[in-house]
Amino acid sequence: MKVGRWKLLLPLALLAVGATIGTSGALATPSQASDVKFAIMTDCKGAFAFGYEVDTAGTIAALSQYAGAKPKNKKKPSAGMTGGTAGGKRLNLVGIGCGDETPALALKETRRLMVQLKADIMIGPLSGDESVSIANWAKQNPQKTVIIGTAGAQDPTMQIAPKNLFRYHGDGAQWNAGLGEIVYKRLGWRTAALIGDDYSFPWTSAAGIIADFCGIGGRITKRVWTPPAGGDYAPFIRQLPRPNQVDGYFWLVGGANTSAALTAFEQAYGPVNARQHSGNLFLYFLGANTTVAPRLVGAYFGGFGTFQTGGLKKAQAVQYVKNASKWFTGQNVNDGFFYNYWNAAWAMVQGLNKSKGAVGAALQRALPRSIKPGFQVANNGVLKLDSRRQAIQDQYPLQITKASGSGTVTASIAGYVPNVDQTFGGYFGPNKPAPGRNYPPCVKRKLPWQGKIKVVKNGVITNQNIK
Amino acid sequence: MTVDRTKLATERVIGVAALVIAVLAPTLFSAFWLNSILTQALILGIGAASLIFLSAYGGMISLAQTGLMGIAGYALANMVTQRVPGGETKGLLLGWDPTVGLVAAILLTVGIGLVFGAVASRSYGIYFLMLTLTYTVIAFLFVGSVTLIGGFSPVAGVDIYTPGFIGDIATDRERLYYITLITAVFVYVLVRYLVRTPFGVSLQGIRDEPVRMASLGYNVALHRTIAFGIGAFIAALGGVLYAWWFGQLSPTTMGLDATIQMLVIAVIGGLRRIEGAWLGAVAFLMINNEITNRIPSSGLPVIGGTFNTVIGFIFLAIVIISPDGLMGLWDRMWDALRRRGGPPHAEPEGTEPAAVASS
Repeated sequence: MKVGRWKLLLPLALLAVGATIGTSGALATPSQASDVKFAIMTDCKGAFAFGYEVDTAGTIAALSQYAGAKPKNKKKPSAGMTGGTAGGKRLNLVGIGCGDETPALALKETRRLMVQLKADIMIGPLSGDESVSIANWAKQNPQKTVIIGTAGAQDPTMQIAPKNLFRYHGDGAQWNAGLGEIVYKRLGWRTAALIGDDYSFPWTSAAGIIADFCGIGGRITKRVWTPPAGGDYAPFIRQLPRPNQVDGYFWLVGGANTSAALTAFEQAYGPVNARQHSGNLFLYFLGANTTVAPRLVGAYFGGFGTFQTGGLKKAQAVQYVKNASKWFTGQNVNDGFFYNYWNAAWAMVQGLNKSKGAVGAALQRALPRSIKPGFQVANNGVLKLDSRRQAIQDQYPLQITKASGSGTVTASIAGYVPNVDQTFGGYFGPNKPAPGRNYPPCVKRKLPWQGKIKVVKNGVITNQNIK
Repeated sequence: MTVDRTKLATERVIGVAALVIAVLAPTLFSAFWLNSILTQALILGIGAASLIFLSAYGGMISLAQTGLMGIAGYALANMVTQRVPGGETKGLLLGWDPTVGLVAAILLTVGIGLVFGAVASRSYGIYFLMLTLTYTVIAFLFVGSVTLIGGFSPVAGVDIYTPGFIGDIATDRERLYYITLITAVFVYVLVRYLVRTPFGVSLQGIRDEPVRMASLGYNVALHRTIAFGIGAFIAALGGVLYAWWFGQLSPTTMGLDATIQMLVIAVIGGLRRIEGAWLGAVAFLMINNEITNRIPSSGLPVIGGTFNTVIGFIFLAIVIISPDGLMGLWDRMWDALRRRGGPPHAEPEGTEPAAVASS
């Protein structure tokens, strides 16, 4: 058989080009001593793909505000940034990691950013299991510094807690503090079922609800966990008790999948009664304000510890919104994704300024143990880290509402829970199991804020307790 | 069977040169390349070798190999990791002796492989392909659904708990590289040896003429089952090494994407020659690494997409231009050169793949 010459030469040429390009990165390139190399780790695929631009925007906006950087494109945060110095050294954004909420890809991307591209600091990841994976990696790489972007699994700063890992926001449980007590008192729930994705963040998120709701006397009668990849929710919805068998449902299905899960519920049990539904931040944030929230007006939900429309009437919050809003167009700076990445980047700048640009252990010692972010009120607005470098933050349970006048669906503040710590006053701990499908158990227990959740009216925290 | 001795000698020289470079790799390449490209390529190559062994000598294109690798890794991870302060949080955390865990993980995988093989041994072609794909899907859903053994969260810390004879591979990555290299060479020699044994020759006979071999008295199903068990053993070695290399196990390491990736590696390298496993793995990882770093986050210009798009095009090109992958390209290049310079050692046209593969 005669072989066409092109059939031989073309692949050989491709191979030669590929090999040249490929091996060009094989040898180590010297880095400039005046640079601090850092990376952003977020998701660009899967249920949290929309976090890619939001997370990057939060990071670059903070670096623009506090380190003199400038966005390359105000409409497209992932275009990167120019300039920026901290501790006398130039900030060099070496890459933006592209995860898909799976731990395997998160770890692979972390290695690419931190080992191949030689970043010393990473801001991220976005999602729960990713943070568990990266916390384990960080434990074995103590010279690298990880500041979690906005991932809410409990394990990274509770059971694993490597010394080079920091989190300046709450975990999923902290983000639901007070929610169980509010539905118990305001809606009269005594029994509830919960449904969530089957991985670390929803488990942690559920743990906060269970601790709160069961702590005051409620009962969780059923826990249903769905594969995190999404798909058909109908079989899982059918595992839930019918609406006349429980007082309510807690939703912990993640990201873009919340709407699909709720649709499956509607198909199974008819139109939803918002008073029977509650859940975590996925009822409103991450685009759910247009897909899920309109169907659940009146429902209470957790959040990131940020305010929504109307804002918190405190100078600190007003200043944050003003500062954060000026760097990109079309970004909601009240979104917890933006806010948490902003605070992480801001903390990095403070740490580098204190360490005079040194990284590694020097930076880890210098990273602030307290910051003054926009939505913290307790302790004169100072958010502190605990001994495992985890934030003790204020929490604001939210309610889906309709704006007066325009009638647009929005969110308002249902309450104020100051200084929520990760252990819930000893309910969770480093020597206790991490939240899982069946942990924690539903038990009545006094939490530090039980009976003390404050009413918030028009952005002002009152002295009244929720009744 | 006529053998082109010049080609054989050339291949041996190239093989020895590749081995010398592999041995010297820690001094030639950066730490990232050694760990993330070469070590990973050797491991994925072992996995692909199990696929190519079944394909080239048994006529069975199995999509179960990634699943079997995952089973070995998960078994090891659950057996050896421990619940200690600041330690792992997912999985059974049995805390077994790592040597016991290692042996048990491999035996378990081989056992499961034999069961899988026995069930699939009477299936051929597309049915065999779908059945083996089902095995991987079952394995993926099992480890994802049973949170007791990990669920979708990562089972971490596998690289910390290694047998004494393996040593500290979590921090000494050169050590892991050499262990992987030795294992890869072992797998290569094992396959080359096996195909020359009476079992290997009869397996190739079954590949080509199963009905005739059955009529001659050979137990076709048993041969295919044993071959599948051997493939599972090779995959188990790859799975254990992967767990040590990656340090963590999660279901996506054995999901559909990983399965397709393994098939792509085997096809790029060449499904008819065992050497193609490692060649394909190196090519795949080099392309992956470079494209991930060079393509803008917004994707390729005009058409969009990132790595998967590019590797898809390359896969198509390989299938169209050189269905036998890079190894097939080498064979054709050799033929073309020989025609141009005149054949010093004529090789008859239409040489059977088995003859090439076992030459």
